[in-house]
Amino acid sequence: MRTTRRRLGLVARNVGVPILSLVLVLVLWQLIVVGFHVASYVAPRPRAAIDSVTQNWSLLWPLVLGTIRETVYGFVVGATLGFFLGVIMAKVSFLQGLVYPVLVLSQAIPIIALAAPLVLILGFSTAPKVVIVAWIVFFPVTVNVLDGLSHVDRDLVNLAKVYGASRWRTFWQIEIPATSTPLFSGLKIGATYAVTGAIIGELAASDGSSLALYQEHANSNLNTAAVYGTTMVMTAIGISWFLLVVGVEVFATPWRRRTVARRWPWRRGRDLVDQ
Amino acid sequence: MTDALLALREVAKSFGDTVALSPTTLDIAEGSFVAIVGPSGCGKSTLFNVIAGLLAPDAGAVLLAERDVTGTTGHVGYMLQKDLLVPWRTVEDNITMAKRLTGRVTNEDRAEARRMARAYGLGEFLRHYPSALSGGMRQRVAFMRTLMTHQRLLLLDEPFGALDAQTRLEMQQWLLQVWRDAERTVLFITHDVDESIFLADRVIVMSPRPGRVVADFTNPLVRPRTLEMLTEPDFIALKGQIMHLLHGGAA
Ligand SMILES: Nc1ncnc2c1ncn2[C@@H]1O[C@H](COP(=O)(O)OP(=O)(O)OP(=O)(O)O)[C@@H](O)[C@H]1O
Ligand SMILES: [Mg+2]
Repeated sequence: MRTTRRRLGLVARNVGVPILSLVLVLVLWQLIVVGFHVASYVAPRPRAAIDSVTQNWSLLWPLVLGTIRETVYGFVVGATLGFFLGVIMAKVSFLQGLVYPVLVLSQAIPIIALAAPLVLILGFSTAPKVVIVAWIVFFPVTVNVLDGLSHVDRDLVNLAKVYGASRWRTFWQIEIPATSTPLFSGLKIGATYAVTGAIIGELAASDGSSLALYQEHANSNLNTAAVYGTTMVMTAIGISWFLLVVGVEVFATPWRRRTVARRWPWRRGRDLVDQ
Repeated sequence: MTDALLALREVAKSFGDTVALSPTTLDIAEGSFVAIVGPSGCGKSTLFNVIAGLLAPDAGAVLLAERDVTGTTGHVGYMLQKDLLVPWRTVEDNITMAKRLTGRVTNEDRAEARRMARAYGLGEFLRHYPSALSGGMRQRVAFMRTLMTHQRLLLLDEPFGALDAQTRLEMQQWLLQVWRDAERTVLFITHDVDESIFLADRVIVMSPRPGRVVADFTNPLVRPRTLEMLTEPDFIALKGQIMHLLHGGAA
């Protein structure tokens, strides 16, 4: 059928092309290392980096879990905080003028400089890393939500008002869906930075066992393959988290790529009302 | 006092030095179709916004079925040139939007929306998102959404202004059919004199600086309206009078 073929084409483009580009990166890496006779302690071959991960997986896995936990907690806290800050600033205009400069200031502080006081306050736990991730994630979310809410079509909001809608209904039924595009842009930017934040947190506020320290350790032992391997793992965490957010976006905003609404099994009753 | 559905009593509105609407008194009979024509900036939309309650007038009162509704909302159906369909809802869910914003959408509401959409040629598109519709179809959905407010008074502000001539003519005939079925009172703003005469029982002419009503014509054309009437002497005569007010006289 034509639709099946189209869907296959879409899958090929959305999944196949990114995989192809990953393979190209690996091939390029291999060519450079082999072609320029790069010493293995300067840069390993892709194969050696991958082996260093698989062979030490039982050691790495708990550290990976730790990084994932920091990333996810920090992202959720940061995104939630960022969303509500954006909403409050959009709704209370005097707060916008008051808070916005502080937010910009918060992003100008080097993250490394934050770590020391955070450790003093929160100790060497997951908490300071979560705070650092949230610190990085909330900003793009706030800015995008604020921007989105300020650009909702006034006529649409007025129409809801004419119908007699409360501000609460107008907000959830009109303003929030109308802001979905910038909201998800903010979340996607936040998702890409989240892992970086977690790694910086682990470096600056770590008590001994973390993915970042594992890499540092490998580095001081001139185990370059493990350094590269760990980088690949960190990158994989980052990409997975980003893809998860993209997946949620695709699921939550079907109208952007479909012309006809999907039928959900749990809404079947509703679809049968007059048949 | 009056058997009018809508009564405006000396309603006035200014923006700074701009008198958008000088004191205006107007009665709109239940079940009638009244068109308002006038050049850009003569206060037509301002008048609608005051009736709908989006703007509080500087003076005067808006009475709906003898109830004072001045400065309050929730008592009219309202439709603009921009269809204002929400892209994240299907056609069916757009039609039931008013209920979703003010209460709960029941199965009866959904059934009514579907019946209406089928009756007016959109049955195939109930589960489509608005992005899949043509301009004319979108305006039809927007009008059904307006009907589903179940308000007796509908305010239509240049609803067909953005459509091409052919689609507009189709939409006008469609609107007359729906209006006859639905038994509502319609106030209809337009720039198009032909459109106002073709549709309305009464044509109100407004003029700017200051915004005010300058004439109020009763349309002699009988119903149902047909396209042939567009060339009848009565039509031509009324059009001449309105055109004179809009373009000729030193208004
Ligand atoms: N919110 C506002 N603030 C200031 N001036 C306004 C506002 N709304 C309308 N006006 C002014 O009031 C006058 C009447 O505007 P209105 O929108 O009612 O005109 P209109 O007859 O609907 O015009 P059009 O046919 O172009 O839609 C205009 O001079 C306009 O500039
Ligand atoms: Mg207008």
